[in-house]
Amino acid sequence: MKQSMADVKGAISASPRQDAWRRLKKNKPAMFGLAVLSVFILLALAAPWITPYSYSGQNLELGASPPSTGHWLGSDLFGRDMLTRILYGSRVSLAVGFIATAVALVIGVAWGATAGYLGGRIDNLMMRFVDILYALPFTVFIILLMVVFGRNIFLLFLVIGAVEWLTMARIVRGQVLHIKQQDFIEAAVSFGLSRFHIIVKHVIPNIIGPVIVYATLTVPNVILLESFLSFLGLGIQPPQSSWGLLIAYGVETMEEYPWLLIFPASVLSLTLFSLNFLGDGLRDAFDVRDGGVREG
Amino acid sequence: MDKRVLTIGLIAVLFTTTSCGIDYETNVADGTRRQVLHVGNGDEPRELDPHIVTGNIEFKLCMALLEGLLSRHPEDLRLMPGVAESWREGDGGKTYLFRLREDAKWSNGDPVVAQDFVFSWQRALLPALGNNYAYMLYYLENAEKFHKGEIKDFAKVGVKALDERTLEVRLENPAPFFLQLLAHQSYYPVHRETIEKFGAADERGTKWTRPGNHVGNGPFKLKEWALNRRIVVEKNDHYWDADAVKLNQVVFYPIQNATTEERMFRAGQLHITNNLPVDKTEYYRKERPEALKIFPYFSTYYYIFNTLSPPLDDIRVRQALTMSIDRKQITEKITKAGQLPAFNFTPPDTNGYTAKARVTYDAERARTLLAEAGYPGGENFPVIELMYNTSEEHRRIAIAIQQMWKINLNVNVTLLNQDWKVYLDKRDSKDYQVARAGWIGDYLDPITFLDLFVSTGGNNDTGWSDKRYDELIAKAATIVEQEKRYALLQEAEAILMTELPVMPIYTYVSKSLVSPDVRGWRPNILDQHPYKYISLTPSQ
Repeated sequence: MKQSMADVKGAISASPRQDAWRRLKKNKPAMFGLAVLSVFILLALAAPWITPYSYSGQNLELGASPPSTGHWLGSDLFGRDMLTRILYGSRVSLAVGFIATAVALVIGVAWGATAGYLGGRIDNLMMRFVDILYALPFTVFIILLMVVFGRNIFLLFLVIGAVEWLTMARIVRGQVLHIKQQDFIEAAVSFGLSRFHIIVKHVIPNIIGPVIVYATLTVPNVILLESFLSFLGLGIQPPQSSWGLLIAYGVETMEEYPWLLIFPASVLSLTLFSLNFLGDGLRDAFDVRDGGVREG
Repeated sequence: MDKRVLTIGLIAVLFTTTSCGIDYETNVADGTRRQVLHVGNGDEPRELDPHIVTGNIEFKLCMALLEGLLSRHPEDLRLMPGVAESWREGDGGKTYLFRLREDAKWSNGDPVVAQDFVFSWQRALLPALGNNYAYMLYYLENAEKFHKGEIKDFAKVGVKALDERTLEVRLENPAPFFLQLLAHQSYYPVHRETIEKFGAADERGTKWTRPGNHVGNGPFKLKEWALNRRIVVEKNDHYWDADAVKLNQVVFYPIQNATTEERMFRAGQLHITNNLPVDKTEYYRKERPEALKIFPYFSTYYYIFNTLSPPLDDIRVRQALTMSIDRKQITEKITKAGQLPAFNFTPPDTNGYTAKARVTYDAERARTLLAEAGYPGGENFPVIELMYNTSEEHRRIAIAIQQMWKINLNVNVTLLNQDWKVYLDKRDSKDYQVARAGWIGDYLDPITFLDLFVSTGGNNDTGWSDKRYDELIAKAATIVEQEKRYALLQEAEAILMTELPVMPIYTYVSKSLVSPDVRGWRPNILDQHPYKYISLTPSQ
């Protein structure tokens, strides 16, 4: 009985999320992006079963060799298998991308929603704090944090996230200021719901669209930021690899051993494209005002 | 806006910029026309003060800005008159009398007088200055005692101005290579008035080395110092041999990255590079052999261990680490420019000296030693940190060695890349565990390598000291006869290669790219190319 009731309800009016999913499925570039990302994530997880080589095992005799049957994507200067290094590198890059973004998301949404909803002096204080952090040159800020807390890969994730949440907080606050004026919030207030309840149950679900879009744009930023930091010696350390680091090293020898640059660069570009497609798709899917896929 | 308009606009912009590129005169073309030499100089110099600096980056600048009593021939390195026009040896090599040339002048027109050298050498020895190279002056009578504060009166030190143009030097013991030292920066004169105008004689880092303040006596004077961008020196008209100086300016660029440097060379931005990327050697051998300059270099590439930092305070650990790297693979597969694997600290055949003591590659023995030190199979061995200054070559060697230690000893190493200045500071303050290092001989004698590691040596950054070693080096300084002296040095090096505060890796070759426009650049094993002798002529 209950079961059929649910079915009926679902058929009559889909929830906003189901609706969004339906719209997303129609968007081919977005689905392509989603598929590519899923494949990369699976490959990253399955790395040890895919390749017989270790990411640090050197073969100086072999040195840099072009793609061959033994090494599908060639080998680097130390004779390390490039496919292996890219696969293991994707673990770092994707993990940084997603974890740091998640950190930014949590802090940014909580901060922005609170500031926006409470308004007044608290809003002022909270947003000026964001402004102050903005004013700090972020490299210096990250270096400082790394110096204080030591070099550690998980810390790196957190630190990057802790820097990236600022923009997120601003976007969220803007959205909340807009939502706050709407009737359903007034209705919730008149029901006597607590502020916390209103923020969590009514405000945040309604700003999820822009937030998701911004998050997908943050991921590539963060992946590139990691490579920059690693290059400075603050991120991950050899013999570990990440896409950014592989590219940075590949550039050094791009004329002699182009495959050392081409493969990691292609993989990174593909990921960034996929994320952008997916981000666009999600934006359109969550945008309820014009129920279809919008032309950019 | 219409997309098409945008596209056309972009294409137009692209075209204008590329066509500009065609008309644009390169640094090299422009420099050759105006006798302005553009050189890559590796990194931002730490200082320009000859009594503070220790690196070859700084030496190249000091060599342009200052001149010692003697100088070197650009090709065969024989000693030639510098500020001194003639000199006489006396008392079996224990005293020297230098006659200074009358026309030697500072860049502000003041004459260079014998008193300038007395002041400069005194300054170099002032304890508070913290001159790492002070030990180079210990050959002067009582200089060591003065430097250590045992005597306060500099008049007792073996250098005296008899008159404005006569300098008398008394040595502690006859040193066969003493005259060579006079061409080294640690014996260079500095301008007393300028130094004292900007601070005390023994104050470090005063503003006297800034453009506008700097006064030197070399063929060039300091014109511009744009931090991390470039240093420009221009011809010094007061220089006594100014007629021989062809270049109007030399521009030094602090380019750390050899790949960037090579691209700049190819794009006509540099006449001479400081280095050459490993992977480009083959290309230049085949395509542009006239620009490629690879020559034997009186220099060793090695790692230093901080012997005060556990677990590296244990001699067995140091031995194990030293024994477990395959130097031949490093020179053949990584550096690839004809470097020789180094199994001892002094380069082979240094003025007739080749060390007998050798370290070997013996992973089996290394594992045993590590086990004896309490880390069987690398168990419980703490993670050690390996520091190098920014350079892709240093990084690659570090990555290879990191892996060799991992495979052979199961020892984990983290790599730390540092800027040249930070790297030098960390070495000086022994704030490191293992660090990359290189030593270029200052003069052609094995002692220039071996006296690094005496307990009091300012460039001994390892914290290692050994009484017997100090004695041997001190004793060798008292002996003139080469065979006996070398026997003592052999014994000293044997101690060094057992105790291993250093881990030799390879003997350098000097590598650089030199534009065919450059004339007067001659290869030599000290890789010193005085700008005084260089001129520029269009090659095509």
